[in-house]
Amino acid sequence: MDAIEYIPHTADIRLKVTGSSPKDLFETALTGMSNLMRNHYCDKKRELPLDIKIKLDAPDFTTLLIDFLSEVLTLSNLHQAIYCRVYFEQLSDHILDARLFGAHVRKFDEDIKAVTYHEANITHSPTGEFETMIVFDI
Amino acid sequence: MIDQKSLIKLNEYLWEIPQSTRPDMRVPAHIYALEEMLADLFNDRSLDQLMNVATLPGIQKAAIVMPDVHEGYGFPIGGVCATRYPDGVISPGGIGYDINCGVRLLLSDITFNDIESHLPELTSELYRYIPSGIGRGGSIKLNIKEIEKVLTRGAHWAVQNGYGDADDLEFIESNGVLPSADSNVVSTEAKQRGHDQLGTIGAGNHFVEVDRVDEIFDEEIARSFGLYREQTVILIHTGSRGMGHQVATDYLRLFQRIMPKYDLHPPDRELACAPFNSREGQQYFSAMAAAANYAWCNREVITWEVRQAWKNIFGKTPTPRLLYDVAHNMAKLETHVLNGKSHKLIVHRKGATRAFGPGSSEIPDSYQKTGQPVLIPGSMGTASYVLSGTTKSMELTFGSTCHGAGRQMSRTAAKKIVDAPKLQRELLEQGIHVQARSYRGIAEEAPIAYKNIDLVVKTVSRAGIARKVARLRPLSVIKG
Repeated sequence: MDAIEYIPHTADIRLKVTGSSPKDLFETALTGMSNLMRNHYCDKKRELPLDIKIKLDAPDFTTLLIDFLSEVLTLSNLHQAIYCRVYFEQLSDHILDARLFGAHVRKFDEDIKAVTYHEANITHSPTGEFETMIVFDI
Repeated sequence: MIDQKSLIKLNEYLWEIPQSTRPDMRVPAHIYALEEMLADLFNDRSLDQLMNVATLPGIQKAAIVMPDVHEGYGFPIGGVCATRYPDGVISPGGIGYDINCGVRLLLSDITFNDIESHLPELTSELYRYIPSGIGRGGSIKLNIKEIEKVLTRGAHWAVQNGYGDADDLEFIESNGVLPSADSNVVSTEAKQRGHDQLGTIGAGNHFVEVDRVDEIFDEEIARSFGLYREQTVILIHTGSRGMGHQVATDYLRLFQRIMPKYDLHPPDRELACAPFNSREGQQYFSAMAAAANYAWCNREVITWEVRQAWKNIFGKTPTPRLLYDVAHNMAKLETHVLNGKSHKLIVHRKGATRAFGPGSSEIPDSYQKTGQPVLIPGSMGTASYVLSGTTKSMELTFGSTCHGAGRQMSRTAAKKIVDAPKLQRELLEQGIHVQARSYRGIAEEAPIAYKNIDLVVKTVSRAGIARKVARLRPLSVIKG
């Protein structure tokens, strides 16, 4: 199974994201979003000189994931940058404390307006994988 | 998913999903669609999303969708939801991320014959003046203090700062400013994202388009609007850009956290809401109004850019005047009649256009006899429409009608099947000049990705929730 699957949506973009652990799920979702914003940008090994600390809390784990991606999207737009890597100081059901690594880009390839909560629901499968759907408003 | 058998036909254009279909529905769901359009509505989850809307606390009469409906995230696009004032809910999802996305139409005094030979030149000049594309900023750079003035003054800021025309203000919905706006409840990030985006159209389905009036359906109203056959007009479609996206994101995040306090548990997280009269509900309403003001200012600045480009090509010929500017992603406090009594309501329109009829105190004096102009943009290769608001829309749909053709194909599918360079050549052969930042944008917005706008307009016209006035055909299209 691919870690990121594109599922059809009439107007927007729907991703099914799978990770072997909560951290892997968050990092895979980050890669999926950043690669949408700039085609396959994070698939190549590259210098990531931007280093930003973020700290979030949320009422549940799914909300934490969507809020994390929203925060990254905001930072990407403010800094004209793509963030490819995340190092977690702490990731629990309610708290995220992390460092983001990225680089400035000349342009974006996709105008993601928002990361929505629609259909987002992190589940833990019997095979031990964590997965959720994420719908991006474009 | 709901199936077609569950729908009750109320008449040739209106279908109902009864309230009894799901125990959590508080009102029925109403679908405006001719029978020939109905099967397509089951290709995505639009109607399931509509039933979710019908569960919102305080919703009145029915959750409604227009014939251009398609699946959204939470609310379906093309939806109208009115909730009870002051204790019904307000939902940022019922407005969407592009707050006050909307359309305005400029009317010139030049006919198609006079403009035809200048079209390539005009298209290039418009493209040069109007920044377009993903995240692209414009030439106006504002500090936070100045942005805050934009958020409270709306289109008036553009006029006061030399980027607009005072005569336009009367012809903008709400005169281009919502007084409930409060920049103090807008985040610094939202303000920062707006610092260089005034006067820009962005990407996606947003555009500036030169059209010709190719058919008049109602001579009297067209005359009153100043429309005539072969007239050249300019259509502008965009919204509040990154600033509005950030406001919606901020408040959806907040509402996820406060809903338990108000015992609110909507069936979809994107229907996050708060009682209108709660502190958070009021804060969102003021922040949304600020973003709406930014959008009106944006469209006014773009109009200024259009007029600069126009002057460069046509010299002293009068620049195009504004017919009207309408929003299609917004929540407003309005008074409507329910069961014979007037009620103040919170009317959410997400991908639906206000269509107030004759005599409404909300519309300019010059449209008192006709109803307000309603602008329905189509795809770049088909047609757009000018309609007028009706008394019946006030009775049936809280003064609302459709907002466009409505997507029927995903962007991914459109990119797979559309050869953008070929489409651009084919459109040029039809006399339509398309200038875009990317072929990808052209492919995603190809006419094949949209429903038949003629059927959408036929539906609202038959239903009486708008009156057909004129049809526009594209001549040149500027896209992101």
